Amino acid sequence: MKAKIMIVAMMICLVPLSNALSQDNKTIEGEVGLTGVWIDVHGKEGGKAKFTEYRDLREDGAVFGRARLNLDTDKYFINLNVGDFAYDTQYYMVDGGMWGKFKFDLFYDEIPHNITFDARTPFLGAGHDTLVGTPNPNFPLWNTFDYSILRHQYGGGFKVDVIRPFFFDVSFERENRDGIKPTGAPQTFSSSSVAFELPEPVEYVTNNLKVSAGYSKKPLFLSLNYIHSDFNNSNSALFLPPNFVAPNAFSLPPDNTYDKGAFKGAVSLPFNSRFSTNMGFARGRSETSIVSLIGSGYTGKVDNINYDFMLSSNPVRFLDLKAYYKYYKRFNKSDDPTGVADIFLNYKIATYGAELGLRLPQNFYLSGGYKYVKTEREKKGEDDPEEILPFNMDNIFFVDLKWSGPDFLEAKVGYEIFDRDAHYRTAYSYGNPFKRFSYAEQNRNTVKAILDIFPLENLNLGLEYRYKNTDYSDTIFGLRRDKRHEFDINADYAIGKIAKVYGYGDYGWIRFNQWQIRSGLPWDGDQWDKTWGYGIGAEVYVIPKKLTLIFQHDYLKSNGSVDFALNDGLFVVGNGLGAASGANNDNIDISRWDDYTLYSFRIKAVYNFTKSLAAMIGYAYERFRYSDAQLDGYQFFVPAGTGNGAFLTGAYKDQSYRANLVFGGVSYKF
Amino acid sequence: MGKRLLIFLSVLFIFLLVSIAHNIVRGDSEYAGSEACKDCHEAQYNKFIKSVHGKKAIPGNPANRDGCESCHGPGAQHVEKGGGRGVAIFVFSKKESSTARDSKCLACHQDMRGVENWNLSKHKSFLITCDNCHSIHSSVPGKNFLKAEEPDLCFGCHRNIRAQFNKQSHHPIKEVFVGRQALKCSSCHNPMGTFDIKAMIKADSVNDLCYKCHAEKRGPYAFEHPPVPENCLYCHEIHGSNHRKLLVRKVPLLCESCHTGGHPSRPYTNLHSFSGTATAQKNKFFGRGCLNCHGNIHGSSLDPAFIR
Repeated sequence: MKAKIMIVAMMICLVPLSNALSQDNKTIEGEVGLTGVWIDVHGKEGGKAKFTEYRDLREDGAVFGRARLNLDTDKYFINLNVGDFAYDTQYYMVDGGMWGKFKFDLFYDEIPHNITFDARTPFLGAGHDTLVGTPNPNFPLWNTFDYSILRHQYGGGFKVDVIRPFFFDVSFERENRDGIKPTGAPQTFSSSSVAFELPEPVEYVTNNLKVSAGYSKKPLFLSLNYIHSDFNNSNSALFLPPNFVAPNAFSLPPDNTYDKGAFKGAVSLPFNSRFSTNMGFARGRSETSIVSLIGSGYTGKVDNINYDFMLSSNPVRFLDLKAYYKYYKRFNKSDDPTGVADIFLNYKIATYGAELGLRLPQNFYLSGGYKYVKTEREKKGEDDPEEILPFNMDNIFFVDLKWSGPDFLEAKVGYEIFDRDAHYRTAYSYGNPFKRFSYAEQNRNTVKAILDIFPLENLNLGLEYRYKNTDYSDTIFGLRRDKRHEFDINADYAIGKIAKVYGYGDYGWIRFNQWQIRSGLPWDGDQWDKTWGYGIGAEVYVIPKKLTLIFQHDYLKSNGSVDFALNDGLFVVGNGLGAASGANNDNIDISRWDDYTLYSFRIKAVYNFTKSLAAMIGYAYERFRYSDAQLDGYQFFVPAGTGNGAFLTGAYKDQSYRANLVFGGVSYKF
Repeated sequence: MGKRLLIFLSVLFIFLLVSIAHNIVRGDSEYAGSEACKDCHEAQYNKFIKSVHGKKAIPGNPANRDGCESCHGPGAQHVEKGGGRGVAIFVFSKKESSTARDSKCLACHQDMRGVENWNLSKHKSFLITCDNCHSIHSSVPGKNFLKAEEPDLCFGCHRNIRAQFNKQSHHPIKEVFVGRQALKCSSCHNPMGTFDIKAMIKADSVNDLCYKCHAEKRGPYAFEHPPVPENCLYCHEIHGSNHRKLLVRKVPLLCESCHTGGHPSRPYTNLHSFSGTATAQKNKFFGRGCLNCHGNIHGSSLDPAFIR
């Protein structure tokens, strides 16, 4: 039905096209192009999927077509943009309308997300809602499937301009997602159970409708908005074979609907001031049939309420002021008569703050502000003192200084203090040394320094440094510190009309420190993420307006590690760790923790035969080397020896690849 | 009371009188007309006249008012003095204050949808002006007169965000080599300002924004994982991560940041695997770690431990 509506809408919207074609004063521009790509990929199943993660480049060769048409007259316009026909990245877009009267747009597009090709499962039925069979360890005989999801989106919108200063917009889009993604479930509810990685079927349809109407003319802006969204999952559960204990079903995302009404308004006031407000009420509902397996009559219902009030003012040239109050509340009204699932999260967040900006002599601009955020959480029905969630009170101060004195320079520095206080509401939770980082007290300091230099008209240089240090000061066990540095630089330089060169460099490291306790003995782990990369590129106008050479090279390296320090008692045999003999604090660190190197190189020549006709030829090389302690030495079947066993599918396994791409194409503009 | 009202009305009358007089004095003599501009700035004129600003069908458009001079101000003196950049004419350069430059655009665009919250924008707070991102005369093809395409335009200033998007796990925002760009910065952010002052996201909360594309995570679930409905960013980065699924830390350390007791309390080191010594140094955390059993980590309809 909705597809029919779309077709009718498209036909109505194409009326301007016929009218536009009959106009005298019209401009027609367009382009058609064809690009052929020869692809040579070296990699295993995971690598081939990683190479084409968001692309459709599986075959040895591919030919991509594209077309663009822009028709413009004094009264009408219409633009068509289509491409990648018949591939998983295909797109078809049309927008148009009557200038000053109305606008419309229609679109269809696709994008894949490839995770791993030729994954394996001992069961039959991958991609469906029922898995059958008896698992056996002979993994070479298992069934293969691809972990991949394809998104198809289509929809359109219509905006009425003719009733200005009133407006009316409506848009609708539908998204279909199909494919398989990895999930997992243990065979039993015991912590020593065999783990099963499983193919989860993805057959989702989401419909989104947005309607907006209002009035917009200085000094007033008024807008009423309505959003309806419904999510439909074709599968309520993944039904598991009998070797799984009851309930031998794995629940999948439930169907849900979301409706929101909102009012937004703004009014200009004296002293160059403006008052803005935003108020909304949303209700989400979910339905699932799978809960009947545990005898629950659960119905999901969540209300969200928000209202914001903001006042901004620029009363005199050198002064900017802003003050605001924001409130957001989530109220879970779900109902479970049987009481099996009667713990629901509610929270409310109240924020108020003020900002001040001062234009100072010598082109200095000083700004700063204060924000207070109070978050109150409640798990409705929760009576376990350990699980009572704390309230948070955040005090945030910030100051920024910008200097744009000389024409060739702009500098910015900024500093922010974030101070979170946690109010634990039970003696147990207050005294508990485990304090979850999401709620725990924290002190965060953020520093940034940015410098943009334009020493010459054709040279731009940018430097940036950021530092952030978060201390979870009251946490003894759990995440205790998050510290990060980032350095970034970029530059571009135009050498007359001969060439343009550009480059960038990035370096960053992040350190997370966390403590834990096992059998009454503490241990701590420091996770390090170090990343550095650079890119250089050039456009050389070999024959101006005729022949251009384009070169691009990018490099990125991630070096992750985890440094462990265990209490000596944890190395004693029989403490439950299952330590390998000979383990000590010198040989337990992990040196490969999502380590990877991305290397790419591309060269392209573009030749313009005429103003209309151009040809392009090029070569690209891409390499991705991945190494990780979790995935190296991968086993599909892990026997249950002294610990847990597992049946794995190969998700994210062997992601390294290298690929050569030779491409060429022609394009014609008219 | 009556006296004050009289004074107020007198001030108002004088103000209106001055305004009207100013408009009368303005006259046509100060304006050169767009044709005069065309004589020296033909390329800019041609681009303007073909653009949406040149459409007379749109009420209030520069084409219906003073053409080039709608934005650049009266140009007669500029012509008389023989031209030259900034000579007796308004140009969008650093020499003009950010307020002066913005006011030229906002004179018309303040009424435009999507710009109504410019006064709240973080960009405005940092004195970023319309002409930092838009150019009427030298924009890239497409809508909105942008100086460059997204995300390159945004990365020009937000270098750290560019670095994050280069990481192996990222939203498909830079996948433009073959095929089209799937997402844009403006899919999630409105650079013109929203009620989210700092990040300018197009939603009333982070989760509301994420659920627009990830509606399956919206629930509500019978069994909720408490931080999930509050803020996705406790566990996920926004722009890019070295760890798959945009996770802020790698599993199992991410889970162990909060959870204790039982197997979360165990250190999974180079020599301590989930499966004991039998698989030491090999496949030790079963590929996806905790998620191999707790597959429904965002919420479950069946199980409070998210294993069904």
